[in-house]
Amino acid sequence: MAFAWKAAGLTYNRYLAVASRVVRRSLKEEKRIAAERRGEMDLRFAKWQNGKQGEVKQLSTANEAAMAEHASGSSS
Amino acid sequence: MSSLRFTRAALRVRPTAFCRPLQRRGYADVAADKIKLTLTLPHQSIYKSQDVVQVNLPADSGEMGVLANHVPSIEQLKPGLVEIIEESGGNKQFFLSGGFAVVQPGSHLSINAVEGFPLEDFSSEAVRNQIAEAQKIASGSGSEQDIAEAKIELEVLESLQAALK
Repeated sequence: MAFAWKAAGLTYNRYLAVASRVVRRSLKEEKRIAAERRGEMDLRFAKWQNGKQGEVKQLSTANEAAMAEHASGSSS
Repeated sequence: MSSLRFTRAALRVRPTAFCRPLQRRGYADVAADKIKLTLTLPHQSIYKSQDVVQVNLPADSGEMGVLANHVPSIEQLKPGLVEIIEESGGNKQFFLSGGFAVVQPGSHLSINAVEGFPLEDFSSEAVRNQIAEAQKIASGSGSEQDIAEAKIELEVLESLQAALK
């Protein structure tokens, strides 16, 4: 296993997001406030089926659920 | 007559050109011993096709130095320090949060990262506090994903702490 985070179902995209979040948090006060705004993400989505809108979900929570589902520890 | 002289001159030049290693570039010529460096973040470009002498990269496969005429390659970067030796002999260091470096033919180097800052922008106190926090989560009883994320944070923070020393 090349990357431990892959085993936990994390995507490369998530890995980069976590790494850059921690880099932003390590900055000095003035720079940190400006930089941390870039890390904010708020996106909701709904699946449409048979012409009807499904349940509106938060992307971040849906991602977490998908990562847990893809963790190799729970599937095998 | 003049055309004859030209062909003769060309004949004379050729053999020496053949002896030298293949250094001719077909397009977008760069000064012989320089790399054109592009270092970009999603919100800013730090270098825009600027001539530099050498770039040291924290590639996943190991630390590597890129000089002019490097073999084309694509390298995934670890969160770590990129060192740029500029034409003037100056030396710049940026901490990147991870991304990719692409060495293109003709001494072009593109580095893409999500976040990148010069070392003086970091607070070693913030790094120390976060290491303690991440260690607590990594050894705690959170979900598998939380522990994995804390371990990623630890990897970044330890690299950052080593760079700040």
